[in-house]
Parts: sequence; structure tokens; C-alpha cells
Amino acid sequence: MKRRDIERTAGRPRFRVSGVLIAIIAVVGVFSFTAKGFFSLANFANIALQGSVLFIAALGMTLAILSGMIDLSIGGVMTLAGVITALALKAGLPPILAILAGLAAGSLCGAFTGYLVSSWGFHHWIATFGMMGISQGIALVVTQGSSVSGFSRAFRNIGDSTIIGIPVPVLIAAATFAIIAFVLYRTRFGSNMYAIGGSEQVARYSGINSSKMKLSVFVLTGLLAAVAGIVLTSRMNSANPTAGMGYEFDSIAAVIIGGTPITGGRGGVKGTFLGAFIISILKNGLNLVGLSSPWQLTIIGAMITGAIIVDVITHSKR
Amino acid sequence: MDGKCILRMCDITKTFPGMIALNKVCFDLNEGEVHVLVGENGAGKSTLMKILCGVYGKDNGKINLCGVDVEVKDTKHAEGLGISMIHQEFNLLPFRNVAQNIFLGREPVKGPLKVLDEERMHKEAKSLLLSLGLNLDTKTLVKELGVAQRQMVEVAKALSMNAKVLIMDEPTATLTTREIEQLFATIASLTNKGVSIVYISHRMEEIFRIADRITVLRDGLFVATVEDPSSITMDELVAMMVGRRIEKRFEKPPVELGKEVLRVDGLSSGGKFEDISLYVREGEIVGISGLVGAGRTEVARAIFGADPKDKGKISLFGKEIKAGNPGTMVSKGVGFVPEDRKEQGLALIMSVKDNIVQASLDKVSTGPFINGPKEKKVAKRYVDELRVSTPSVQKLAKFLSGGTQQKVVIAKWLASGSRVLIFDEPTRGIDVGAKQEIYKIMGDLVKDGVGILMISSELPEIISVCDRIYVMHEGRITGEVMQTDANQELILGLAMGKEVVQ
Repeated sequence: MKRRDIERTAGRPRFRVSGVLIAIIAVVGVFSFTAKGFFSLANFANIALQGSVLFIAALGMTLAILSGMIDLSIGGVMTLAGVITALALKAGLPPILAILAGLAAGSLCGAFTGYLVSSWGFHHWIATFGMMGISQGIALVVTQGSSVSGFSRAFRNIGDSTIIGIPVPVLIAAATFAIIAFVLYRTRFGSNMYAIGGSEQVARYSGINSSKMKLSVFVLTGLLAAVAGIVLTSRMNSANPTAGMGYEFDSIAAVIIGGTPITGGRGGVKGTFLGAFIISILKNGLNLVGLSSPWQLTIIGAMITGAIIVDVITHSKR
Repeated sequence: MDGKCILRMCDITKTFPGMIALNKVCFDLNEGEVHVLVGENGAGKSTLMKILCGVYGKDNGKINLCGVDVEVKDTKHAEGLGISMIHQEFNLLPFRNVAQNIFLGREPVKGPLKVLDEERMHKEAKSLLLSLGLNLDTKTLVKELGVAQRQMVEVAKALSMNAKVLIMDEPTATLTTREIEQLFATIASLTNKGVSIVYISHRMEEIFRIADRITVLRDGLFVATVEDPSSITMDELVAMMVGRRIEKRFEKPPVELGKEVLRVDGLSSGGKFEDISLYVREGEIVGISGLVGAGRTEVARAIFGADPKDKGKISLFGKEIKAGNPGTMVSKGVGFVPEDRKEQGLALIMSVKDNIVQASLDKVSTGPFINGPKEKKVAKRYVDELRVSTPSVQKLAKFLSGGTQQKVVIAKWLASGSRVLIFDEPTRGIDVGAKQEIYKIMGDLVKDGVGILMISSELPEIISVCDRIYVMHEGRITGEVMQTDANQELILGLAMGKEVVQ
């Protein structure tokens, strides 16, 4: 009976989540003893702040992977949206319009990839790989390779102010999570994402318009990447034309460690929260103990492999 | 229950490139009846039903549903009209729960935000399942369910769309006896509610048990509709299915049969086939006949070592092969010409030459390096020998016709020195002239003492080409027939699980 129960819950986030939770506790425990200054309120706030940007980007990645696809362009689109917003601010646009310009740029990138995938039958890997280069390239071209920095107080508030003691980026991440979780778990649209990720043929036979779904998913990932890019720009008070590099790797890692398999059709954003959380803790802690980013990359890579092994083991039975 | 006619399909014609799948076929369905559709492999049963439920379009003909002419656009449209099909491979998402699968794409929503109404979804799913006599937690993931339960979920899904016509394609193929009884009870309760069922089946006993009427198709043609199944015998039904096609396709040259080259004893593989024993001698062409899904390809793959076996012994040239995998089998002289030429037989984007030497690279290599001239010479030799019609050995395989591709696959095994060849549907999708050439090549091979094991779904082919024929039904060998005794009725009867008194 007990074994059955475990099997029954294996596909749901709860079982996986508990595994990641244990890992998080272990990591926190290790760093608390080894890293000076790790176990402090200020540092935890710092982790939350750093993690917010990754989490927002990873939410988009979750939707793409859940739907049986992947979006490699997330980092590039983040950069481009940040650069566009920054240039708009520099051109004297009010922050709200500059932000809208950045969001529009991200959504447009997503819409273009989605159009290639849904209407022209491009493989999602190729379409987003191309977009990765395009968005990164445009960001470099329009900035001539140098950072755009120094913004008004109003814009910087997004990144470095707090409301009732909570950093604004954390609040933005929480709100984004709430909206995406609602869409995913409580609407037909969300249910359809699971369907096309599980089996596009089954979805189509059930009357789901899979082309429209794919287009929408990419618009969403583009939009979320833009949100992440703008928050990052505000926090840094600078739009660096390579700022988003590596975020595609970290967000794919967050999704997979969070229990959404690369094959799609199951998992969800709850796991991604924990995935992004553990990656942020690791990066912070490894920095504090003095391990450089190559080490961080190695360790996160090993964690992805570990998550896949756990996934294979829990799903190979039966 | 004797109801009025609710569906009439008239003069349905459908052609696929190179073949007429259906030629002016008529079919009708009464309210609340079980109408069984039978025919050999390729008779057009599935095609007809796929047209009805919108998977294929038709070239010609009319579909009249409840007195109104309809053009079924796609599956969604068909379901809107009350026509649902339960395919052999289920259309369910394993990682979604029962209720989510039943209402996939049509989930009930509430409120201005169109929030999913989970409560209503589970309640309705539950009551649908209960009406089918199944008490199942609707939150269970489909992957946790057995085949029979999945089938019930499919039926519930169809009912949730108010299906009036339910098409079941070999629904009992993977069920146990007890589950079949449950399915029949469900079918009875459905027909009592006025649902009409089209039932495609190959199993004699169940056809006669549940059919209100039987329609027979053969080679895409309508043969007859039997209004009263109790008025005919199984033999008469089989005779209708095979018709009178007597044609000698091929005359195998007289060959002295030599020693046993392949022997299989008690081969079993969980659920796929059981207790298979057979042998092939030098110079012999041995056939495996049976209907699609009988487990023939699975047996062939297990012999070749491509799939694992649970039990049983495989011997080559009198020596037992312990752990068989394709590598050892090839090195011991076995070649496998698979059914799916384009996927498993050859590499389409590689040249004729590269395909031919693929299984014999050691023979065309000098040390660790491939010897180009040697490679070309070997390829040329077999291209000439088998008269592979290609302008050059550099031509990519994908540009060749089906028959020529098949010759390339055979050339590959000849180049690797195979003495036992397993052919799986060697002439499928190949035109008549090329078929003759393939038979001739097989004849030449056995003259050289090669032993051939051949799977074929075409009865006239297997009867005229093979010396001896094993017939399989649901994973077991139900008979062994010598060519001299073979006729279509006998083999089809065995293939459909008819008891044969010999």
C-alpha cells in the first residue's frame, strides 16, 4: 500500500519538492557553518533579491518546458529588453513608457519565435537558438557594446526600494508567480499547456489548437524574460549588453531541479520556485566561501544531472 | 435492441498514393446495435472508420447521419456530431489525472475569470465512470491505470461528448478474459441506452458473441452485410473474407533442404508472445503468418536479439546462442530485413554504398581505416548481383524507389555474409514488378543454401513463396502448415484463433 502511495504521488510536485527541500536545508546548513556572513538576515534578503530575477525568467522557461519545448533565447531577450528600456529612459521617456517599450520588445521577440514554430513548423530549439543570437546581437549593436547607465530615481526604485520592508523585486517575483500559477493550475489555457507537452497528438485529437498554444507560450516566455531584464537593469542601475548571458542555463537548471522534466507534460512552477531558490543560495554561498563562477557552474551542472537521475529512478518503475 | 438506421455511409472511396484503400464501400448502422466490421489486414476497415471520425478525408461518397448529409471535417467535428473512436493506441495523457483526461480541452469553467471548475469536473467524471460500473478515484494519474481501466476512461471520455456512435478498434486485443467480460457488459449497457457501436475485431468467438450484424470488407471492397450472424458459420465468414483469389505469384526453384540453420525453442517474452518454437533449414523459406498484432515482428526482433527475451533457446547452425544481441547475431551470419525500411532498414541520407557496407565494415577496412576502393568494389558487386537500379553507388538511398531500397537492405546482409535472413513484410509498399524481383532474389538465396524466415500479412504471397508456414494468433503459434496443404481459409482461420481439427 505504502509503495503504491509513493508511486501515485511520484508525478506530482509534492514528492519532488520534498527532495529539493531537503537539499535546500542541507545547503543552508553547510553554508551556515562554512561561509562567514551567510546566516544573516541581510544575506537572506540579498539571496531573495538576486534570486528574484532568475525566478521570473525561470517561470517563463517552465511554461516552455512544460509545453514540451525549450526557450534558449531567454538570456538574450532579457538583455535586449533591459537595453531598450535603458535607451528609452536616456531618450527622456517617462519610466512607465520606457518599461512598456522593454516589455513590448520581449513579447515581440517571443511572438516572432512562436510564429516561426507554430506557422512555419520550425523546431523550437532552432527557432529560439536563432532568437538567442538575434536578441543578443541587437542589444550589442544598439549600445555599440557598452553599458547604458545612470537612471532617474523613479526607475531605480523598482530595483532597490522596499515596501513594508520587502524588496520590490521580490514583490514583483511573487506577483508574477501568483499570476502564472493561477493561469497554469486554474485555467483551461494552463491545462492545455500540460496537454501539448504530454502529447501533441492527443491534444490535437482533443480539439486543442496546438499552434495557437505554442505561439502564446513563446509570447509569455518573451514577456517574462523582459520583466526579468528590466528588474535587473533597475537593480544594477545599468543595462549591460551582456547582462542576460547565462540566465538561459540557470533557468533551465531551476526548472529541471524543480522537477519539470525536459520532455514536458508534467511538473509546474511550484517546483521551479524551489529550483531557483536553491541555485540562488548556492551561488551566494559559493561566492562567500570564495569559490568562483566556474565552480558554481560545475556544481549546478552536477545538480541538474542529479535531478535527472532522481527523475529517471522515480519514473522508471512501471 | 432493434432501432432505426442512424448512420449510412454510401459509396465511400479513398485512394492513397499507389493504392485504392476503399472502393465504393457502403456501411450502415442502426440505433443501439453492435455492428462488427471484419476483413483481412489491409481490407480497409480502419480506413473506413477513420473517414467516419474525421481522421482522413474521403475522395468520394456520402455520409448521412440521422437523415442529414454531413461532411466530417476533423475529429473535433466528428465528436460534435456524436461520433467517437477508441483507437488501439489510447489517446490519453499519462501524467494527467482521470478527470483531466476525460475533459481534456473541454474542461468546465466558472465565473468571469473562467476558472477551472475542478469540483464539477471530478463530480461529472465520477458519475460517468460509475455509469460504466467503474468506481475509480478521478484524481488518479492515468499512468497508474491498467489497460482495461484506461479503455474505460476512453469510453467515459466519449460519453462525456454525448457520443451516439462509438467506434472500437480491436478493443479486446490487450485485455484479459475477465476484463473482456466487463467490456462486453459495458457494451450491453451502452447499447441499451441507444448508443450504436462499430466493433472492429479479428477474434472469431467474440464476433459471433456480440454482433447484431457483421459487415465484411475485402481489399477495399464491400463484400456483404450479414443481417443475422447466427445464420452463418465461422468457415463461411472466413470464406467471405478471403474470397477466391487464386494466383501463383512465384515458383520457388526446387532446392534440396539441408541442415537446420535456425532453431527456436520455447521463446517467450512477457505479454508479447509465448512458447514460440520453430526451425528453418538450409534452402528453406519458412513463413510466419498472422494478423497485425499477433506478435510476429516481436518474435523476429527477439530472434535477432533486438528485443530481450524472457525464456527460451535460440540456436544457430546447431549451436545455442546464449546472450543474443544484434551484434553477435550479425557476426554469426544472421540478417534482418525489417518491416519499416525507411526507419530501421537503411539510413536514408546515406549513399547506396555506405548502406551496403554498413554491416560489414571490417571486411572493407585495412586496419582501423576504411579502404575506399575496396568499399566501392563490394558495393558495386552487390549492386550488379541484385540488379539494384541506381545510377551510381554514391546515390543517396532516399532517392530510390521502395523496391530498390529493399534490394539495398538485402545487399547489406549479403555483403555481411548472412546465412540466415529474416524478412519482415519484405514486399510491403513495393510495386508488382519489384515484388517479383524480390521473390526471385529470395529464390536465388535459398539455392545457395541460405535459410529464410519471412513474415508476411499477404496470404497469397506467403502461400506461394513459403515451403512451410507457421501461423500465429495472439502471441502463440496456432498451427504449422506445409505449402502443399496451405490455403487461405485454413491460414486465416488459424490466424483468427479458430480451433482446427486436423
